[in-house]
Amino acid sequence: MAVWIIEENCTGCGLCAKACPYGAMVIEDKLARVTDRCTECGACLAACKFEALASDIEQEPIPDLSGYKGVWVFAETQEGKLLPVSRELMGEGGRLAAELGQDLCAVLVGSGLEPLADELASLGAKKVFLADDPRLAAYATLAFTRVLADMIQAHAPAVLLMGATPLGRDLAPRLSRRLDLGLTADCTQLGIDKETGNLLQTRPAFGGNVMATIYTPRVRPQMATVRPGVMAPPQARAGAQAEVIKQEVKLLDSDLLLKLMSFTPLASQGVDISQAKTIVAGGRGCRSREGFGLLAELAQEMGAELAGTRVAVEEGWIGVERQIGQTGVTVRPELYIACGISGAIQHRAGILGSRFIVAINRDANAPVFSVADYAIVGDVFKVVPAMLAALKEAR
Amino acid sequence: MSKPALRSDPEKLLRQIISRFVAQEITPLARDMDESGKIPKELMRKIAQMRLFGMRYPVKGGGCGGNSTLYCIMSEELARGLLSLAAKVSKQCLMGTEHLYRFGSKEMHEKYFAPAMRGEKIGSFCLTEPEAGGDLGAVATTATKDGDEWVISGMKTWITNAPIADFFTVLCQTDRSKGVRGLNFFFVPRDTPGVRISPRFETLGTRTTDIAEVAFNDCRIPGEYILGEVGKGLKSLLSILADIRSMTAALALGLAKAAYETAFQYAKERQAFGKTINKYQLIQSKIANMATDIWAAELMLYETTRKIDAGLPAGKESMMVKYFATETACRCCDEATRIMGAYAYSMEYPAQRYFRDARFLLYGGGTHEVLQQNIARELKF
Amino acid sequence: MNIAVLVKQVPDTNEIKLDPKTGTLIREGVESIMNPDDRLGLETALMLKDAHGAKVTVISMGPPQAIDVITEAMAMGADGGVLLSDRNFAGADTWATSYTLGKALEKLLAETRLDLVIAGRQAIDGDTAQIGPQVAEHLGWPQVTYVSELKLEDGSLRAWRKLPGGVEEVVCPLPAVVTVLDAPQDPRWAMVDRLLWACGPKSPIRVWDAADIEAPAKSTGLRGSLTQVMQTFSPKSERKTDWIEGTAEEQARHLVNALSQRNLI
Repeated sequence: MAVWIIEENCTGCGLCAKACPYGAMVIEDKLARVTDRCTECGACLAACKFEALASDIEQEPIPDLSGYKGVWVFAETQEGKLLPVSRELMGEGGRLAAELGQDLCAVLVGSGLEPLADELASLGAKKVFLADDPRLAAYATLAFTRVLADMIQAHAPAVLLMGATPLGRDLAPRLSRRLDLGLTADCTQLGIDKETGNLLQTRPAFGGNVMATIYTPRVRPQMATVRPGVMAPPQARAGAQAEVIKQEVKLLDSDLLLKLMSFTPLASQGVDISQAKTIVAGGRGCRSREGFGLLAELAQEMGAELAGTRVAVEEGWIGVERQIGQTGVTVRPELYIACGISGAIQHRAGILGSRFIVAINRDANAPVFSVADYAIVGDVFKVVPAMLAALKEAR
Repeated sequence: MSKPALRSDPEKLLRQIISRFVAQEITPLARDMDESGKIPKELMRKIAQMRLFGMRYPVKGGGCGGNSTLYCIMSEELARGLLSLAAKVSKQCLMGTEHLYRFGSKEMHEKYFAPAMRGEKIGSFCLTEPEAGGDLGAVATTATKDGDEWVISGMKTWITNAPIADFFTVLCQTDRSKGVRGLNFFFVPRDTPGVRISPRFETLGTRTTDIAEVAFNDCRIPGEYILGEVGKGLKSLLSILADIRSMTAALALGLAKAAYETAFQYAKERQAFGKTINKYQLIQSKIANMATDIWAAELMLYETTRKIDAGLPAGKESMMVKYFATETACRCCDEATRIMGAYAYSMEYPAQRYFRDARFLLYGGGTHEVLQQNIARELKF
Repeated sequence: MNIAVLVKQVPDTNEIKLDPKTGTLIREGVESIMNPDDRLGLETALMLKDAHGAKVTVISMGPPQAIDVITEAMAMGADGGVLLSDRNFAGADTWATSYTLGKALEKLLAETRLDLVIAGRQAIDGDTAQIGPQVAEHLGWPQVTYVSELKLEDGSLRAWRKLPGGVEEVVCPLPAVVTVLDAPQDPRWAMVDRLLWACGPKSPIRVWDAADIEAPAKSTGLRGSLTQVMQTFSPKSERKTDWIEGTAEEQARHLVNALSQRNLI
């Protein structure tokens, strides 16, 4: 076992049990005990204040990393335009670069993207690294990996941020493994450790019931993907200029193995709940399509968009374009009303950006209440009709 | 140094898998099935694909290679979802097919047993008669040898699965002068001329359980359709009685747990006089008593099945656990309805179904009045 | 046709609840399950086995109790299983995990040909979606991610990728690594006869440690991880929850008042 308790020092304070992401540490008779749930992740070691935890995990030495400089943002594009997440990353990347006293740089990979350099400059980029080639017009994992790897090896940045989009989540792990870099997925918060200059990457872990702060002590660049919709885009400053550095594109035939045969767009319902100001959402507790009818009434009365959880979508109560949560959409409305939603972490993570959250659920233990401003323990089928009545009365 | 082989614990894993199957495939349909009295074919197909019907039989005989403990784990977990479905599956595994498996010819195995393992043919066990329940000496259905054939005549009642059965295992008297020593089981395909099945009984609970009366009017079957040696029917019945009773106890245990969990959850959510009702001592007492009885029943049950699996006599233990687990189920289902108040009276919630279904368990495997008497006899009292 | 499927044992995060008073996790009764995306990956492999007759081997890295996901996979229809278990593997980040899985696949490749590696898109305890692409890079094979349906053609695969905006159809030469997020049919249930066989002495499940796959300690587990966990904490929101009590009517009226005072309605 890699982690064990030094019983003389243990006070049974429970800090380790709180820190353990796997619930593997239990306190029994005022002593901590490691149970067989332990994955030996080591998260408890830092938590103990009494030197009561020991491990035989060996640490690798930290090399000199001072040669790596610059915060890079991979500027993902679609049809020649920057994705919103690219702008959000420029905002966050700028903040980090300022804290590090380094340059914010943007990376453009594609075909005919040079015109975007000015826009990236206006968003704070000092330099724009550009790989422009007709063979890069469509995204191809291996081709993009090679180009980015070449760029990174040539310029040695300290940080590389990408959007946690389908493309980013396909490309980042491949690239990180090619260059043997640490990668943290789906971050919701970034910061800089003042002592070491390490990037502090915070993300929901273990089904998100826990937040974990992750760092990459011994390799550079530190890679992270960032969840779209979480960071704020910067104020654009018109007229700002950036140095454009063109990267020679060298590809192998084997980098272009995948053949795209067809693309069938999803029938768009013309809704974008990520932009809604008020959202009424339902989950398992709404029990049926009819239950959702009641929510639709409430949404209409409030001028809100209707949304649902993964369960509601799977049950066919609501369309997939209105799904909220990890695999769905992240929303940041002014007011979010969760009806009959227990609030699995994926869902909670998807709504945390809301200004006010109302939760209605029969189960007082439902995790959704932990993020609610207003909590109503009660039956959706009683509370929602009462709300409708109260709203009509107030009008 | 060779490493010791690391293997999963089959009991733990089987329980987990069936429990997940119940949560995903049975619980969401339980109310519909209970109200319509029908089990969707697709669901039975999935159960067959999991090979649950072969749970007790050796792999060489076309089964899974399980034992009584695994079998009861299956019955218990299925009963948490829907008792009648659990009973239907459990009976097919045991009474519906056991004599056919043990005594049937190769041809009968191919024609009936193998399809029964695939869930394509249903077997039904015919013991009870209008004038003979637990009293086997009073069995009046006769089997008479006529040349190479047997002729079966008589009436059987409270026959589970009769309306959907493809074949029957029928307890008959071959020689009235020998009393219980003249008893034998016979294999009667449903399409044998002279087999008549009454309309399905209307019952209080376990509404997907098909129960009817079966009349055998001079049914002629081949000589090889006698299941076991002449005069050994009682012996072969006794050899599976401990299994039947522990399986019934497993069904009861599963049902008790379902009722307990429903009430437990409800009590933590339901508010009364400004606090959730789990804060009241009278509710706490009920929950504590339910949990205690359930634990006792569980310990008794699996102690009994381990004896059966070890080939030890478990007649007394199986009667005790059938009696205790079923009483526990009846008590838990009753207490659950009290904790849940009027919600238990509504057809929308499962508590009423647990309450109705529990009564089914009182009769199969012997009424408790007979069982208590037999337990006392076993104690040489 | 030989297919390797990567599976992970995870806690069933859907069952996790928070204690409303302390804000800590209620973990009691939370079971360990086969990661849902991996189950879909296994179903995808078994469908290919049904259609083309493939040999399916499942591989998992984890503590000894993770043997259960391998056993269940065998019960569903996999032909072989390998558990990678060694105290040195513990605490691995995705780099070290993909390295360890990659070394195991290399050992498997030394024994037999492999045409395809299938992994779930992501695990519900981490949601990183990194292992598939990282294993692909380890092997130097192309990757196809976000797959919902897979067909085999002569020397290549045709896959349908389910993306937020639509479905992409791609063709990729074999061998390749595929990560799946869906399958054309619900994953099949375990068969009890196979389950008991996989639990028994004749089970072909193998357990490999670090020495078996020639993975040095400095490249596996916590020590080999490039990322480290600095701290974990409950996502305590700064929100002060206002618990609205009373009858449904009282609750509704209180809420509507509060919302209109804040100009939210």
